[in-house]
Amino acid sequence: MSTAYPVPSDVSPVTVKNAASLLRIVALSLISGAAIASRLFAVVNFESIIHEFDPWFNYRATKVLAAKGFYEFWNWFDPTAWYPLGRVVGGTVYPGLMVTSGVIYNILHWLNLPVDIRNVCVLLAPGFSALTAWATYMFTKEMKDESAGLLAAAFIGIVPGYISRSVAGSYDNEAIAIFLLMFTFYCWIKALKQGSALFGTIAAVFYFYMVAAWGGYVFITNMIPLHALVLILMGRFSDRLYVAYSSWYAIGTLSSMQVPFVGFQPVSTSEHMGALGVFGLLQIVAFAQLVRTHVSSQQFQKLLVASVIAIGVLGASAFVFLTIKGKIAPWTGRFYSLWDTGYAKKYIPIIASVSEHQPTAWPSFFMDLQFLIFLFPAGVILCFRQLRDEHLFVIIYAVMASYFAGVMVRLMLTLTPVVCVASAVALSTLLDTYIDPTEPIPAEEDVDDSASVVTNGSSAANAPSTQTQSKKAKKAAAAAPPSKGPLGDLVAATVSSTSTKAGASSKPKGIFGIDARLVVILNTLAMLFFFVFHCTWVTSSAYSSPSVVLASQNPDGSQHIIDDFREAYYWLRQNTPEDAVVMSWWDYGYQIAGMADRPTLVDNNTWNNTHIATVGKAMSSSEEVAYPILRKHDVEYVLVIFGGLIGYSGDDINKFLWMVRIAQGVWPEEIQEPNYFTPQGEYRIDERASQAMKESLMYKMSYYRFAELFGGNPGTDRVRQQQVPKVGPTLDYLDEAFTSENWIVRIYQVKKEDPLGRDLKSANAFEQGKKRKRTKPAPRRRAII
Amino acid sequence: MKSFLFAGLAALATFSCVLAVSPEQRLVELANAGNGVITLNEDTFDLLTSPKRTWSASIQLTALDGRRRCGPCKEFNPSFEAVAKAWKSAPSDKRNEQFFATIDFDTAPSVFQKLNLMSAPVVFHYPPADGSRKPASGNISPVKYDFSEGFEAGPLAEYLSKYTPVPIPYRDPIDWAHWLTIAVGVLGAAIFLRFISPIVQNRWSWAVGTVLVTLVMTSGFMFTRIRNVPFNGGDGSWIAAGYQNQYGQEVQVVSFMYGLLAFSFLMLILVVPSQPSPSRQRMQVYLWTAVIMIIYSVLVSLFRVKNRGYPFRLFL
Repeated sequence: MSTAYPVPSDVSPVTVKNAASLLRIVALSLISGAAIASRLFAVVNFESIIHEFDPWFNYRATKVLAAKGFYEFWNWFDPTAWYPLGRVVGGTVYPGLMVTSGVIYNILHWLNLPVDIRNVCVLLAPGFSALTAWATYMFTKEMKDESAGLLAAAFIGIVPGYISRSVAGSYDNEAIAIFLLMFTFYCWIKALKQGSALFGTIAAVFYFYMVAAWGGYVFITNMIPLHALVLILMGRFSDRLYVAYSSWYAIGTLSSMQVPFVGFQPVSTSEHMGALGVFGLLQIVAFAQLVRTHVSSQQFQKLLVASVIAIGVLGASAFVFLTIKGKIAPWTGRFYSLWDTGYAKKYIPIIASVSEHQPTAWPSFFMDLQFLIFLFPAGVILCFRQLRDEHLFVIIYAVMASYFAGVMVRLMLTLTPVVCVASAVALSTLLDTYIDPTEPIPAEEDVDDSASVVTNGSSAANAPSTQTQSKKAKKAAAAAPPSKGPLGDLVAATVSSTSTKAGASSKPKGIFGIDARLVVILNTLAMLFFFVFHCTWVTSSAYSSPSVVLASQNPDGSQHIIDDFREAYYWLRQNTPEDAVVMSWWDYGYQIAGMADRPTLVDNNTWNNTHIATVGKAMSSSEEVAYPILRKHDVEYVLVIFGGLIGYSGDDINKFLWMVRIAQGVWPEEIQEPNYFTPQGEYRIDERASQAMKESLMYKMSYYRFAELFGGNPGTDRVRQQQVPKVGPTLDYLDEAFTSENWIVRIYQVKKEDPLGRDLKSANAFEQGKKRKRTKPAPRRRAII
Repeated sequence: MKSFLFAGLAALATFSCVLAVSPEQRLVELANAGNGVITLNEDTFDLLTSPKRTWSASIQLTALDGRRRCGPCKEFNPSFEAVAKAWKSAPSDKRNEQFFATIDFDTAPSVFQKLNLMSAPVVFHYPPADGSRKPASGNISPVKYDFSEGFEAGPLAEYLSKYTPVPIPYRDPIDWAHWLTIAVGVLGAAIFLRFISPIVQNRWSWAVGTVLVTLVMTSGFMFTRIRNVPFNGGDGSWIAAGYQNQYGQEVQVVSFMYGLLAFSFLMLILVVPSQPSPSRQRMQVYLWTAVIMIIYSVLVSLFRVKNRGYPFRLFL
């Protein structure tokens, strides 16, 4: 047999096998290293610090767990959050993340490694990303082979779509959840392939871990039943499916109910009903199969089919009845808004207001997935070619996840794994075809089947060396896994929907000559290199900002750190009494609790809409209206974020409309969104701003004394690009307490009631020596004269 | 005697005259004449929004004249009329406490000036300024309906129902054409199931469907649906400025490019290896590789348009 390039022939199959597995291990560990290293930009560029908002709560809870132990954590009631309501933390969190880092922390200390809990938290996400790469490798191995697995692992290790939620310091549930997601799916595929109750149980255990770690577990809860349902509908019911699904569902559901935050939801809410329904359907189908093997009569079989359908219809109508009766809770708003995309904006503005719940425009897809995004459909088509049970899983996953990712930016995270898997399948098939050294013979001579489809691995990770190829070739020939059908071409495949083996094996298949191979391989390599550059650039420039510390560039290109947030929180910590209540918009609740250690009215755990609307109302009403609200809630300090001076666009004035909208949802009589626009319908903050806007507490606190900075010249708000009024707003009920270096954080102290019983406005006027305006004629005494 | 009778007649006449000009009565008549909607002019506008009104009024300010070229006005007008018509079936004792009226820019430009309006359509709701239904807050200035939920009648009725004495008994008309289409579609599918079952059972038809769904979804189709973005910029531009924005046409272009790239890869993987002639195979390899290079370069340069800070470029 002729080959395109020389291949050594004197290597024994055992050597090849051993070398291949060694290479795989080396490649996987290098991939893990790359995955961890590329997530460390945040630590290198800034410092080892917890990022953003939610991670600050997780970090705070983990500190409690590490310091006081699990039971204290479990029973933790936090009186400082949601003042004056408080929050039962133990029952309202997904504890998986905190427990994971608590366990790691304790193991390290047991090993006498005195690691700070903060560093465990910061580095948890990169560590788990290495595990994710491994789990993706295992998953993809089930889809195609080891070489595709290695490619998929490399992809998911560095793809920005996953890095965006797992850089060092972004200590959030997603940090461990994607690993659990992929590993649960791997166990499910394995259980399904082997009909193994053991793997079903492992899948259930990891499902339990996932339930304890992330609210997105509902994705698994619906993906696996959907897969099972499609298999049944395609007539692919088997005992393997029955065993795998039943063991997963029974154990997984029972264990998931042990998480207090989930409780009885798996049997009482619509999100989980699909899984229950498919479980019931499987029992019926399995029973019917069993009976059919035992009876022979034609009539009885018909009766059987009829009764199975009747039971199914009965079950479905019982479900509908229970839903109408209210025994089964309908879809929660967050999930419902995925289907009816206008729902959230109308009814739950608090969900619609979160930036990561916005729909995704195409540049985000390209930014996060780059060339994987167009290899992905090719991979899906290749899955259709073989269409084994596990390929169906990838196909369903691809459709569902691409829809969800389109609806919500945040769900890009669930799309990323399947994109990596599918495009790894496509790319590794391409490389298999073009690295394969066998020269086809244009004559009628039969080509050795198993050699022509030799799968080869690690060609992306390691530059392809001829020796590796031959090893792989021999290894494949020796192992001869069942997936080694010859590569059917598209035409042949469409004509015969069965396996392409019979139709294609007589034709010569393969690539002629070395140049055709080189063109494709070099092109692919170039794309892979470009992908690496792209990922590195995106990660370092877009996804590694802690958002607690901001970076800007000096004119000479050096980095300038803007540290206003920590400056202000530290000021609060040092200069205010420990029980001073701080009011701010909910975005900053966790940070205030975590960094300033002060009670807050509302935080990122947005469980009480009315309380948030109260804060919104206080922010959007005039001082006179807001003051009683502040006093009633014991508020001592009010904190606003203002970016107008340095152009920080994520500030409170830009979020202000959401405050108005949320407040309007509860007090439609008092707060009306159109009042905050100019008559022309513009959102302005300059002279032409509407009256309600200018009088609102938020506007006053943001622009208080702002115009003075410009010393008589017209001041410009750099975010809105508008000129502020020359005479800034005045404050009667609040005192400016602190303004950070770049004015990003401004803190105001709420004045106590006037000791003489005057209202604060007239007291202020008196202080300033203004005469009280006498609108009425002088009192009676003068009349006597 | 005669003079007495005359006096009596005069009194009667005055009385009936008073009856006739009772503003509320007059408004009711006007409303009945206009199928629930009062067509206002400058005088009746002042009458309807008089500071002593005991009724509430929802007023549509619009510009329906063809010369004004107000597309939204024409789109919204039927919805407003439908809601007003629905109010006619409200309980009779409450019906006359709320009026629906419309005023056109061309009949009363001064009203638009007075209200400082630069755009149309606008819906103002005037709460009662007097009487038992006067709002407890004492705020009798009109509230403006914002069209954030579109021009449909349903949200308008829902919004106005917060201010009317009883909720507006408005129901969306049943869209018979829609249901008919669905029924015919289902029926047709059922009949043709025998003929199309090879298509339904063929995996490649499913494959095409799946790939089309993923292509369209990953090119931002849902973004255009949710945000209701226009198909293109109107002035010939079809690329929306900004990284987190896009037009409808971009979905088509981007999904086509993704599709073409995926197709090229599939050709390289599936079709090229089974080409028996070496020279033709070589040509195909070069062809598809070139397609990949060129389209990918175009894609990257398109991305550079969207994301100005992107530092990489390929051949373009």
